[in-house]
Amino acid sequence: MLLLIISPLLAFSDDATVALFKKGNAEYAKAQYPTAIVSYQKLVDGGYRSVAVYFNLGNAYYKNGDIPSALLYYEKAHKLSPGDEDIRINIQLANLKTTDKLEATPEFFITKWWHGFILACSLGTLAVLSVLLILAGSGVLILYRFTSSVTIKKVSFYSAIALVFLGLVCIFIAGRQADYFDSHHEAIVFSGSVTIKSEPALKSKDLFVLHDGTKVDILEHSNDWVKIRLSNGNEGWISATDVREI
Amino acid sequence: MKRKYCILLLFLLSTSLLFAADIHFTASASKTEVSTTEQFEVTFTINNSGDRFTPPSFTGFLVVSGPNVSTSMEVINGNASSSMAYSYVLVAVKEGTYTIGPATIFSGGRQLNTKPLKIKVVKGSASQQNNAAAAAAAAQSQNGPDSRVTMKRPGTDINKSLFIRADVDKSNVYLGEQITLTYKLYTRVAIVGSEPDKLPDLNGFFSQDIKNPNQSPNWHVETYKGVKFNVADMKKNILFPEHTGNINIDPISMLFVIREAAKASDDDMFGQFFGTYNDVKYKIKSAPTIIHVKPLPPGKPDGFGGAVGKFSISTSLDKKEIKANEPINYTIKISGTGNLKLLKPLSPVFPADFEKYDPKTEDTIAEKESGETGSRLYSYLLIPRHEGNFTIDPVKFSYFNPATGKYVSLPTQGFKIKVNKGTLENNVTAFSGADKQDVKLLNKDIRYIKTNGDITKNGEGFYDSDLYYGLLAFGPLLFLGALIYGKWYERHNSDVVEVKKRKAGKIAAKHLASAQAQLTAKNSKAFYENVFRGLYGYLSDKLNIAAADLNREKIASELKARSLDGGLINELLDTLDLCDMARYAPVSGISEQQMFDKAKNMINDIEDKI
Repeated sequence: MLLLIISPLLAFSDDATVALFKKGNAEYAKAQYPTAIVSYQKLVDGGYRSVAVYFNLGNAYYKNGDIPSALLYYEKAHKLSPGDEDIRINIQLANLKTTDKLEATPEFFITKWWHGFILACSLGTLAVLSVLLILAGSGVLILYRFTSSVTIKKVSFYSAIALVFLGLVCIFIAGRQADYFDSHHEAIVFSGSVTIKSEPALKSKDLFVLHDGTKVDILEHSNDWVKIRLSNGNEGWISATDVREI
Repeated sequence: MKRKYCILLLFLLSTSLLFAADIHFTASASKTEVSTTEQFEVTFTINNSGDRFTPPSFTGFLVVSGPNVSTSMEVINGNASSSMAYSYVLVAVKEGTYTIGPATIFSGGRQLNTKPLKIKVVKGSASQQNNAAAAAAAAQSQNGPDSRVTMKRPGTDINKSLFIRADVDKSNVYLGEQITLTYKLYTRVAIVGSEPDKLPDLNGFFSQDIKNPNQSPNWHVETYKGVKFNVADMKKNILFPEHTGNINIDPISMLFVIREAAKASDDDMFGQFFGTYNDVKYKIKSAPTIIHVKPLPPGKPDGFGGAVGKFSISTSLDKKEIKANEPINYTIKISGTGNLKLLKPLSPVFPADFEKYDPKTEDTIAEKESGETGSRLYSYLLIPRHEGNFTIDPVKFSYFNPATGKYVSLPTQGFKIKVNKGTLENNVTAFSGADKQDVKLLNKDIRYIKTNGDITKNGEGFYDSDLYYGLLAFGPLLFLGALIYGKWYERHNSDVVEVKKRKAGKIAAKHLASAQAQLTAKNSKAFYENVFRGLYGYLSDKLNIAAADLNREKIASELKARSLDGGLINELLDTLDLCDMARYAPVSGISEQQMFDKAKNMINDIEDKI
């Protein structure tokens, strides 16, 4: 049964996919970044989404000097695996090379802790964990029901309660995390320099200028315009062609 | 004698009649077809003395000077005739056909009118006119004071023969409209020397001197108030009023040394001949002039920066496609006539991401009598720092045209600039994050790629899949199933008799199994013992009889009570007897294997029936 659960997570879809991934890795190792990008991009275009592919593609773009694309794929990888430290470090380094310096508005410390908590594990890990915990809890409960030994009954009862509770916590966190990413659309600015407007119209007032590589929160879509918010709290409208959603 | 008088009287009367009939009042123009800005003269002549002259309104024309009145009297053969002429110098402003209305005068007790004059005005070239004027000025500048002007002997009233006029071309102007101010020296006396006493401050104006190319003043003859003067332009300025209201042009004052004939020698013939004279110093001041400055009309358009006059604007860009961090030049050229030097720098809107520097201003402005003319060039240095497509919006420039009294907005050209990616190093240094985060981190490299990892198709995540929910539900369902089973199990096992009954077959089977073990071990005694115990134990459990009470009769009666058929009962009893016997003595007629099978079949049969 354990195999049944884990198998879809470990499944390399087929040999060709693995070969392409390996090819990209080899090209990256030989510093042939443009060809590595092509290999990884094929995987991504083929509908495969994986932390490793996104991360490696981001690395290849970084080495090739395309910081906005690197950040886009790092952020995609980060979304899949929020707790991964490699991704976090590389995002930090790539951000050093972007133009816009943004002072993030300080988050309330409880909110910060909460986000750190719900984003600590990836969604897949949380899902497997919750299934295993609930199954184990049920098993121990059954043991509790049928055992005749008082000691085993006591131990199994409390451990079952603990296991089921932890399982429910995992389900809850997974739900929160999925919800967070559903409501939290982010994008990377891809134009070298773009003016943020006060309204979704070219004639409206210029608010500020952003440069490529800056991460923005997407608040709203309107035709070809996107309402964005910066980490420092400024809001404005940007043409949808200037940003790519993570 | 009387007759003689009569004739004389007749003659006199007739002459007077003749006179009266002969008064003409005519209007004539030096040209009937003129071009705009061309000067021409209109003269009203009467061949008699007249008074109360009323000039017509010269609609469509500007009166440059006039009325210049001249009178002449001549006597021919004792016949005295006089004539008067009022002349005006006019300038046509706009093309078209204009009528100069009748002028009226009273003469000999009658009102006389002139015939209206028709003047056709065609569009003329101003430059020709200017050239002609310049040529005339040049010609005149060659001469000193014209000798044709009779040098009046300086006498009683010096102010009438030597004065300075501050002459302005317009006295009613808009704010910022240019005025040409000329200080003219009018003289009919000989000037020996002069020195400036006090130059005007020209407060309230932005003033520009018109440089005289020649050092010496240009002398020319001008008729002022019917008297001819030698006139010199002393100083010419272009003025731009800086505020509204009535602005006073300060008087200029100069010291002149005039050569005067000595008074004492008035009767002295020699003195008159040889010119005994005194040099007298006079201080001459011009009369103050007031300029009425009107505010600009309301409705100033966008991009109006106080430009008054007539302008044109052009913009240019030296490169349309460049790499980031390369400079480009954007120039705005404003040319025309007006307060060019007072223009505020335009505020062109550049893309916010361009680095821009203050504009360099270059003037090519000439001050002429017609006003300040030329061009001003603003050049902006721009450095785009990032790639992309940018636009430079058209600059809005508008000016006020005082001639039409309207604002004019001029369109300019906008530009599209394509900025390509510059060299990478420059790009980073331009806005490097060196001050953004620790420099130490810059030396670090990104983490290496992940060489193994799972690759799943989009939407194949485990979370939210059917399998996930199925497995989640599986645990609790399993537990629920276990609970239900437990419940059923408990209820099933609560009746001891029933349980015993149910378990009888199993216990017997157990004994039989051990019997079979003895059988294979060829332990015949133990085999029979096991078979006997198995049967007995089975019957005891099945029939709910304590092992101690169990005997042949009880078994038979109990089985009968359960309506088991007689043959089977007898067979069972025989088998029991046989087993009992075989425990102590060997039996013949039946093998151990047969015995075992028999016992097994018996139990099966009873199990089936009860």
